[in-house]
Amino acid sequence: MNRLLLIGLNHTTAPLEVRERLSFNAQQRADAIARFKTQFPSCEIVLLSTCNRVEFYLARAVHGNPRVEELLQFVADFHALPTSDFETHIYQKSDRQVIDHLFRVASSLDSMVLGETQILGQVREAYDACTTSAGPLLNPLFQRAIAAGKQVMRDTALSEGRLSVASVAVDYARGIFDTFSDKTVLCIGAGKMTALVLKHFAQLSPGRMLICNRDRSKAEVLTTRFGGEAVGLDALQEHLVSADIVISSTGASHPIITRQHVDVLRRKRRYRPIFMIDIAVPRDVEPAVGEIDGVYLYNLDDLQEVVSRTQGQRKDVIAAANQIISTQVEAFVSWNRQRELGPAIRALYSRYHAVAQEEVARTINKLPNLSEAEKAHLEDLSRRIVNKLLHDPIQTLRESETAHAQAAQYLHALEKLFHLQTDEQGADEPKGE
Amino acid sequence: MPDVPNVGQLVLLGLATLAFVIAAVIALLRLKGQRESLRLPGKIALYAGIGLGVAVLAWHSMLRGSWIPLEDNFDTFVWLAMLLAMFIAYTQRTRPLRGLESFMTPLIVLLLIGAAVFGKTTPHEYLKSAWSWFHRTSAFGGALAFAVAGCAGAMYLFVNQQLRSKRVSPGGRLGNLERLEHVTVVSVTLGFALLTIALITGLVLALQGSAMGKNWYTQPKVVLTFVAWVVYALVMHAPINPSFRGRKTAVLSVIGLALMSGILIAVQLMPASR
Repeated sequence: MNRLLLIGLNHTTAPLEVRERLSFNAQQRADAIARFKTQFPSCEIVLLSTCNRVEFYLARAVHGNPRVEELLQFVADFHALPTSDFETHIYQKSDRQVIDHLFRVASSLDSMVLGETQILGQVREAYDACTTSAGPLLNPLFQRAIAAGKQVMRDTALSEGRLSVASVAVDYARGIFDTFSDKTVLCIGAGKMTALVLKHFAQLSPGRMLICNRDRSKAEVLTTRFGGEAVGLDALQEHLVSADIVISSTGASHPIITRQHVDVLRRKRRYRPIFMIDIAVPRDVEPAVGEIDGVYLYNLDDLQEVVSRTQGQRKDVIAAANQIISTQVEAFVSWNRQRELGPAIRALYSRYHAVAQEEVARTINKLPNLSEAEKAHLEDLSRRIVNKLLHDPIQTLRESETAHAQAAQYLHALEKLFHLQTDEQGADEPKGE
Repeated sequence: MPDVPNVGQLVLLGLATLAFVIAAVIALLRLKGQRESLRLPGKIALYAGIGLGVAVLAWHSMLRGSWIPLEDNFDTFVWLAMLLAMFIAYTQRTRPLRGLESFMTPLIVLLLIGAAVFGKTTPHEYLKSAWSWFHRTSAFGGALAFAVAGCAGAMYLFVNQQLRSKRVSPGGRLGNLERLEHVTVVSVTLGFALLTIALITGLVLALQGSAMGKNWYTQPKVVLTFVAWVVYALVMHAPINPSFRGRKTAVLSVIGLALMSGILIAVQLMPASR
C-alpha cells in the first residue's frame, strides 16, 4: 500500500525571490520527473509549479523512498541551490492532509486570489504532464481534485465579483496617470497572463499599444484581439523609451529589464514616470528598477496582496466552497479506504477460510460415517468461527478511517503479520460528478 | 475705528474656523477610510465655513465703509482663506480632486487663526499709488497660487510615497500623480508671474523711499521673497529640464509654500515690513 506525501512552498510561506528560484518551466518539469523516476522508480509523482507554488505530490510505500530529506536534496540538486536557501519555507503534508490540500488548491481556496480559475487549468496541466509518473493513487486523486475544483467554480459564486490582478493593475495605473489617450502601453510576452492584463488596459483606450514578443506571430494574435502593433523583442530598448505602462510576462529565466537599462533610458524618456507590471515568475524586471525615481514597479505578489485584502468580504461564498471540498475529500478518502482495505480484507478472509476448510476436510476424512448434513454443519461451524475471529480486527480497521494515517499503519501491520499479498486495483474508480 | 476687529466679527470668524476644522477632520477621516457617508457633512461644513467667512468680510467692509479687498491685514487673511476655500469648492464641483480638502482646509484654518491673532484693521495705504496696488495684489495673488501649488505638491508626495510603498489600496483616495503635477506646475507658473510683478513693484517702491527705510534689502521679508522667487524659478525650470519634474517639483513647491508662510509672518511681526 502507498502513502501520500506532499512537499512544497507557496505564496504564504515563501517570498517571490525564493519561489522564482525553485520554479519549474515545462521543460524543467519534464527533466525533473525523468530524473526523479530514475532515482525513485517505485514512487508516483506529480509536480505542480505555478507563479505562486511549487509542490511535489508523491505516493510511495509506507517506509519507501524518497524521504523528505531526500526529496529536498533532489530539488536542491536540480536547481543547484543549497537546501538551506529554501527549507525554512517548505511545508510538508501527508495522507488525508494532502488530499484536502490538493482539493483546496484546485478550487482556488488556497490561492492568493480566491476564485481565480487559472489554477484549475494549471493543476490539470501538471497532471497531464505527469500521467506517466502518476500511478494508481495519484491518478484518481488528481482526477477527483480537478472535478472538485470544477464543482466549486460551477456551484458557488467564488469566481464572481472578485478583484483580479489585472483590474488592480489598472487601478494603480489610474493612481499615476490622469489620461491614457496620450500614453503608450508596452506588453512584453504574449502568454495567457499578458492577454488577461492587456484586455483590461485595452479598455482604457491608450494612445498606442505595442506587443513585443520573440515569436511575432503570437504577438499578432494579441493585436488581432486587442488592437495595437506587434513589434520585435530586438528593439525593446526603443520601445521602453516611448512606453508609459509596461506589462511584462515572459518565460525568461533571468530579468530582461535591469536597473542599468532603465537608468540609461531615463534621460531619453525625459524623466517621464513609468508604470511597470511584472507578472512573470521568475521576474522579468530586476527589483532594483523599482528604486528609481519615477518608476512604479509592481510584481505579482504586490498586486495579489491587494486582491487578497478584499477576500474577507466573501465569507459566505468561501463557506459554501469549503463545504463542497469537505464532502469531496470525504468521498475520496472513503473510496481510497475501500481500495486499500478491500483487497487486504478479502485476502485475509480467503486465507483463513481456506485454512479452516483444510482442517474441516481433514476432520471429515477421519470421520467416514458422517452424513452430508453433518458435513455441512461442520463446514458452517468453521466458517462462523473464522468470521467471528476476524470480525473485531476488521471492524477496527474499517473504523480507523478518520485518521487516514492510522488506517494505513494498521493495514501495513496486517499485511506484514498475516503475510498478505493484496491487489491494489481492487476497487473501482470513484464516481465522477 | 478701533485697530482690531470687533467681538461680533471675531465670534463669526471663530465659527467659520470651527466649520473649517470640522471640514478638515471629516476630510482626514475620509482619507483614512473610504467613508462615503461623511461626504455630505464634509461638504456642508465647507460651505458653512465659506458662508461665515464671507459674512465676516461683509460686516468688516460695512464697518470700514469700503468694499475694496486687501485694505487691511485682517481683511487680507480672511480673503486669502476664503479664496482657497472657494478654490476647493470650485474644483470639487467641476473636476473633483480626491483628498484636496484634507490638505487645504488645515491651511485655511491657519489663515483664519492668523486673522484672529495678527488681524489689524488699520487701512493700508496701497490705494494711494498704482505701484503699491500692483505690489500688494500681485504679492497676495502669488501667495494664493503658491498655497495651491504647495498643497498639490504635498499631495503629490503623499500619493507618490503611498504608491511606492505599495501600501495603499488601488484607485487611491487622492488624485493621480499626473494631475497633481499639472496643478502644481500651473499654480507655480501663475504664482511666479505674480511674485515677479510683486518683486519689481516692491523694488520701485523701495527705491522711491517708502516706509521700508534705507536698508530695505536686508529685511527678512525681502530676503525670504527673493529666496522664494529662486525656489519657484527652479520649479518653473521643470519643463525645460525634465529631471526637475515629479517629486523634485513637489518638494520645491512645498519648500516655496513654507517660505511664503515665513514672508507672511515676517510681514505681520515686523511693522516696518508691511
